[in-house]
Amino acid sequence: MPSIRVPSALRSFTGGNSDVEVAASTVREALAELEHRYPGIGAKLLDHGAVKPFIRIFVGPDDIGGLSGLDTQLAERDEVAIVPAIAGGRDIPPVDRDA
Amino acid sequence: MIPQRATIVGAGGLGGPIALSLGAAGVELVIADHDEVELSNLHRQIQFTDKDLGQPKAERLAAQVVARGGRARGVTGAWTARSADALAADADLVIDASDDPATKFSVADWALAAGRCYVIAAALRYGGNVMVGAPGAACYRCLFEEPVEAPSCADAGVLGPVVGAIGGVAAAVGLALVRGDRSLAGSILVFEDLRRAVDPRIVRFAPRSGCPACARALVSPGAAPVRVAEVQ
Repeated sequence: MPSIRVPSALRSFTGGNSDVEVAASTVREALAELEHRYPGIGAKLLDHGAVKPFIRIFVGPDDIGGLSGLDTQLAERDEVAIVPAIAGGRDIPPVDRDA
Repeated sequence: MIPQRATIVGAGGLGGPIALSLGAAGVELVIADHDEVELSNLHRQIQFTDKDLGQPKAERLAAQVVARGGRARGVTGAWTARSADALAADADLVIDASDDPATKFSVADWALAAGRCYVIAAALRYGGNVMVGAPGAACYRCLFEEPVEAPSCADAGVLGPVVGAIGGVAAAVGLALVRGDRSLAGSILVFEDLRRAVDPRIVRFAPRSGCPACARALVSPGAAPVRVAEVQ
């Protein structure tokens, strides 16, 4: 089953899970499944059905922009990686919020 | 041998290890930062001590580089489109080590337009990204189109040691660039969680059709990368 690698900035939606397996044959279906299981995360990734400008999505090492976009086909063991633009941040408090 | 020059934008958690590493490697530095050292910085910006509190970060970091035998000049001020030429006119390489999305785009846009190599470093929570840019390769704006609504960076925070590790990677790829190795140009190194895995996902991205930064570039994406001397 394909899996989605969730970036740390969005793991508050997935209860801290970094990898989510999805029953999907395209990237679009995978993201729909992710939203179905973790409501709200889809709005962080897509805008009117298109990938937001500061988000890039890769299947393995390949940018879906160079493949078939959201219609890129997924194989059984493919890993979909979501890479957001990040810009640093403040300190993490002593209590680990991922814990 | 002509010394290599780099401008580092940001003298904080990322900029510290970058400046100390490149300075020790003989790269002449300009370090720009508008901020002053605060007590809350000290555990992750380990180039500073309590004696630096209230002092300009750029000047204190430059002094640390010089104290180790390197050559560096600190400039207290922000990188802007207006200040860029003064800060980086002589630079072979520009490294963004800021925590500001707009600054990252500004550094990348300027470097691309000026035909310079550049590195954009960012850290968040337990990981980070290092993007490598050079003339002729896909650019930062090809990767992320514009500096809007980056997911909860300011709220998410960053673990102290993570900035040291990401800064070290940025320095390593920066040093490779100034020495002519552009094998990672047009790539982003993604470190998801340094507590669990230190190997990055290295993804090479394609030039984006209609990218305004590439349209202004001296060398268009897809062209063979050229050395800085050839485009000046």
